[in-house]
Amino acid sequence: MLFNSLSFIVFLVIVLGLYYTKFFNWTFKKRMLLLASYVFYGLWNPPLVILLWISTVIDWITGKALATEENKRKRLLWLLLSMVVNLGFLFFFKYGNFLLENFTLLINAMGMDYHPLPMDIILPMGISFYTFQTMSYTIDMYWRKTERVKTFLDFALYVTFFPQLVAGPIVRAGDLVTQFYEEKRATTNQFIWGLFLLTMGLFQKVVLADTLLSKTSDTVFNSDKVLNTWDAWTGTLAFSGQIFFDFAGYSTCAIGLALMLGFHLTDNFRYPYAAIGFSDLWRRWHISLSTWLRDYLYIPLGGNRKGVIRMYVALMLTMLLGGLWHGAAWTFVVWGALHGFFLVMERLLKNVIRIKINFWNGIILALATYTCVNFTWVFFRARKFETAQNIIESMLFMHTDGAKVVDAFSIIKVFTLIALTFICHWMMRNTSLEAAAQKRSPIVLGMVWAIMLFFIAIAQGNGEQFIYFQF
Amino acid sequence: MNLKQSLIVAVLVSLSGLAAWECYWRSQGFYPNIDDNKDLWAVQRAKVADLTDDDVILIGSSRVLFDIQLDEWAEKTGRKPLQLASPGSSPLPVFHDLVENTDFKGTILVGVTPGLFFSTTFPEAFPWKRPQTKVDYYHNRTYAQQLNHMVSLPLQRSLVMMSGSEEEWSDDIDLKALVSRITIGNRTGAPDFPPFYNFNDTRIDRNTTMTARTVNDTAFANSIKKVWEFFGKSAPPPDKKATMAFFLQDLKKYKARGGTVLLVRCPSSGMLKKGEDMVLPRVSFWDELVKQAQVKSYYFEDYKQLQFECPEWSHLSASDARKFTVELVKILKTDGVLSNPKNQ
Repeated sequence: MLFNSLSFIVFLVIVLGLYYTKFFNWTFKKRMLLLASYVFYGLWNPPLVILLWISTVIDWITGKALATEENKRKRLLWLLLSMVVNLGFLFFFKYGNFLLENFTLLINAMGMDYHPLPMDIILPMGISFYTFQTMSYTIDMYWRKTERVKTFLDFALYVTFFPQLVAGPIVRAGDLVTQFYEEKRATTNQFIWGLFLLTMGLFQKVVLADTLLSKTSDTVFNSDKVLNTWDAWTGTLAFSGQIFFDFAGYSTCAIGLALMLGFHLTDNFRYPYAAIGFSDLWRRWHISLSTWLRDYLYIPLGGNRKGVIRMYVALMLTMLLGGLWHGAAWTFVVWGALHGFFLVMERLLKNVIRIKINFWNGIILALATYTCVNFTWVFFRARKFETAQNIIESMLFMHTDGAKVVDAFSIIKVFTLIALTFICHWMMRNTSLEAAAQKRSPIVLGMVWAIMLFFIAIAQGNGEQFIYFQF
Repeated sequence: MNLKQSLIVAVLVSLSGLAAWECYWRSQGFYPNIDDNKDLWAVQRAKVADLTDDDVILIGSSRVLFDIQLDEWAEKTGRKPLQLASPGSSPLPVFHDLVENTDFKGTILVGVTPGLFFSTTFPEAFPWKRPQTKVDYYHNRTYAQQLNHMVSLPLQRSLVMMSGSEEEWSDDIDLKALVSRITIGNRTGAPDFPPFYNFNDTRIDRNTTMTARTVNDTAFANSIKKVWEFFGKSAPPPDKKATMAFFLQDLKKYKARGGTVLLVRCPSSGMLKKGEDMVLPRVSFWDELVKQAQVKSYYFEDYKQLQFECPEWSHLSASDARKFTVELVKILKTDGVLSNPKNQ
């Protein structure tokens, strides 16, 4: 089920109605939330709920065993069981076709004629998110960093909680499960603020991403022509806006929905396009994934504790795998590699050049960072290396006489919208939406809210899927 | 932060804005209409599983959709046909789906619009991809999508602002359509596609009629004629060999399991008919198809009672469509090709 769909409104009204009914106790309400979460997921493809159940049961059993087991070898075996099952699902469903394709290419390159039948594997929605979430619990249990979850119901709800089930934020057990122990009710202000966040998330998704940016981005990246510089930049900027508004929109909806139920989810985006440098970017973009990768990949690989070379290797490996996490294609690996490269370069430069950030050099550095980010987005969006290469060349003014596929109004529209987004991120980079809202009069806030509601309604979004569902 | 006050302002202002938006578009002559989208098509396609051998399925392009009226057909035969025709589409993908993925062995009426039937079998070509998308959607649609469609229908029936169409008509009023109509020059050098306005009223059972405006407003009808002229000039040459081979292979299979197929050529008129006769002459296309298909076939020009003038050259007005349906059913009953015609 999608947040930007009419059926979700019906679903939410029913869930909220049952949740705030006084006749039911807390355990019943949690059961209802769990069932609602399975319905939310199952309305897409019912059989794939079984994967969720398996992940839940395996990690519940593993967590239970790790809570009491003292034998180091047995503890490791329990951890491996969880990893094999979760990563096994992820590899089979997400990387099965990719591995087979590459294996076939390799075998054929070695001179053997091998053509297996393609595996028609369906990618379960949000599998990368919930497997990472449930694995974080098991790993934390193994490291004794978190308490064992008290009941199976709490754990199942943690794995399946519908606001953040399919596209995050990836929440740690310690941050969410503990909220399930005591009865939660949103205060009136929390509920209304949650509703505001839900509206804002939908506005970002339905109006900004789907209505104003997606078509231009698709036109450019689906074109098989060598494009003009303006077209390449317009398409790339449109995609940078589209993916931000799409993904941040989902996270904002998720945080808002959870808040309407009285739960707090951590921020996933903090105005990333005003980041100064790539380290700053990853502290602002998909924060729950970057902290996951830091805690469960970068640090175990040595982090910055085992020398400079090892640190750079760990950083590159983390970003390569981070790229692969986003999609089973070499273009995503290149995207990750570019981010790794920029992170390494940044650290190297920081050792040589010390800059005190002020307004003017800050905005220039933020623009420079955003420009580099756009080059990486090309590999994220392009389905083929040839397309990516053509667009990068065009962005670098190598095809000034290239084909023109974007109309003049779309160029103006995209550049204006992206400029406004950048300015907004820059102005908001050291504050929060809540803090900014508090400074405005309730009337102004209400008017902004009304404008968003109006545009969402007249956009008549046709239930476009969120981009990150496929990851 | 006084959020209650903000919420009240948001609700009041947004509702006032939306009410004004709705009133504005109604004052411009718009009225609520059901979107003939892939969901609506899929709902009808799902009904195939419940059909008996006495039932009729209509497939083809927009001519079958506009020209055959379900109520008149039902009144004259006692059974309402299932409308699976798809505008701007070759009937071949839908026929293929019915043959390959169902057990249906009743009657399938195939509308033959020469420019579409004989167009192509290339999967990415517009006349093929369009119906195939609907077929694929039917097979892959999720429960959530089905639920969305159910919830959206009452809104489509009552609100103009919910009438945005999958077809992307030039008079759609959803935000994306409104924004896409803003142009500055012609930077891409793309040919100027004439505006293509919505000219059909659709019911939930996909019964489709031409809007009164198309019949009464000559300038509006002319705007649609310009679209046919544009298509006529820009259409690639037909691929008779591949399309006939594809259809005949499915037809053979369908006949083998006891199914009946009827070929119907619905009326067209004016310059469009002349163009069709020139590029896709009856003798070498329709007659050849009939000869090889060996099924009952009905070409409107062969029956005086099936000849009507089309307001925009390609489809019948609502009243003529009703007459056409009644006369067609009479002919079919006379021929004894409907397996269970109601005695009238």
